[in-house]
Amino acid sequence: MLVNLDPNDGRPLYLQIMDEVRRAIVVGTLRAEDPLPSVRELAAELVVNPRTVSQAYQELEREGIVYVRRGQGTFVSPSVRRGGGERRRNLAREVAKRALLEARRNGLDTEELVMAIQKLAAEEEDK
Amino acid sequence: MSGAFAVATHGLSVRYGSKTALAGVDLRVPEGAVYVLVGANGAGKSTTMKVLLNLERRDAGRAEVFGLDTVARGPEVRAQVGYIPESHEHAYAWMTCGRLIQHAAAHYPAWDHAYAGHLIEVFGIGLQRKVATLSKGETRRLQLVLALAHRPPLLLLDEPTDGLDPVVRNRTLAHLAEHLADTPTTVLISTHHIHEVESLADHVGVLREGLLVAQMTRDELRRTVVRYRIEVPEGWQPPPELRTAGLRRSHAGREAQWTLVGEPRDVTARLAGAGATVREVAPLSLEEAALAFLAEEVSA
Repeated sequence: MLVNLDPNDGRPLYLQIMDEVRRAIVVGTLRAEDPLPSVRELAAELVVNPRTVSQAYQELEREGIVYVRRGQGTFVSPSVRRGGGERRRNLAREVAKRALLEARRNGLDTEELVMAIQKLAAEEEDK
Repeated sequence: MSGAFAVATHGLSVRYGSKTALAGVDLRVPEGAVYVLVGANGAGKSTTMKVLLNLERRDAGRAEVFGLDTVARGPEVRAQVGYIPESHEHAYAWMTCGRLIQHAAAHYPAWDHAYAGHLIEVFGIGLQRKVATLSKGETRRLQLVLALAHRPPLLLLDEPTDGLDPVVRNRTLAHLAEHLADTPTTVLISTHHIHEVESLADHVGVLREGLLVAQMTRDELRRTVVRYRIEVPEGWQPPPELRTAGLRRSHAGREAQWTLVGEPRDVTARLAGAGATVREVAPLSLEEAALAFLAEEVSA
């Protein structure tokens, strides 16, 4: 699993780490019973306070996405399936949120954005 | 979080003759935090650290490290601190690095010899080298070994990345993250290059001419100090309450860009109430957000 933090993302780092784990599960690079990197490893890789990584893992555990095997580390829950419906919907929601924000910044309303996306998708399918 | 502070100062003031170095500083560094103290050169960052180690006298107020008064309990405080001074000069310039490390090992009962050996390897310390012959970067690396090897509960790092090339800097910070995972530690870092330690920081304090003008968690800083891009009618004047909350602003025709402090929801509502249309609320990098407090318009 590759975790990337975006310095321009205003959200707390632990939320960004949680999202990266969720994304890895949706796209299938992390599967049920896969180990997550240790807190130490990920903290060193991302150069963040290990407590930030612990916080992300604890929240993911609370949501049932990962579980802790004592003395062995953190693993993806066996019940987690790649691309589960709700998880995909949540991911789509996050992507849509970013697009919407960008549209507003450019003075576009929702309808204009949605129309542009549909038109673009249709054009790409025709190719 | 336990709510205990590793470092707490209360109305701490230091003067050098007629010059004020620190003016009533109430620093609060929670246990386990990586607290980054930002400010221009001469803002009082190094003075703060020296007072904590009782290397500098205070004129008013007091300072505590793990609840111990830094003057009355100086030696106990220093035994719990790993310190990297701003200066690259060393009092034991005539010693070899190996001799100096032995000297430090004898001084700290908690010295971890195996770990020291590991650090010497990680930071590539030449034990036969004379301290006086080390470059700036090599001196920093030696100082890091001395500061970390006794696994102190508090690290005071004054410009720790100063003199390190980018590759060594990243390796050093990654190593620091590992160190924190292995050893419960509170870290106070002073720097004027906040972007270099940006990801590691979870608390930020901003010193401006001896005053602590901001002190909050990273998340709070990034949430409450953001840039608003607004569309305004011609000749628009900002409402007075926003004039004091604004940190930096720039104008271009009917568009204005403004860094404001406050809950984005409230600020947006106030701007709307004053006739401005908010086009964008953009987060700032930690550095931009902290530097906003150093802008000249702070109390304009």
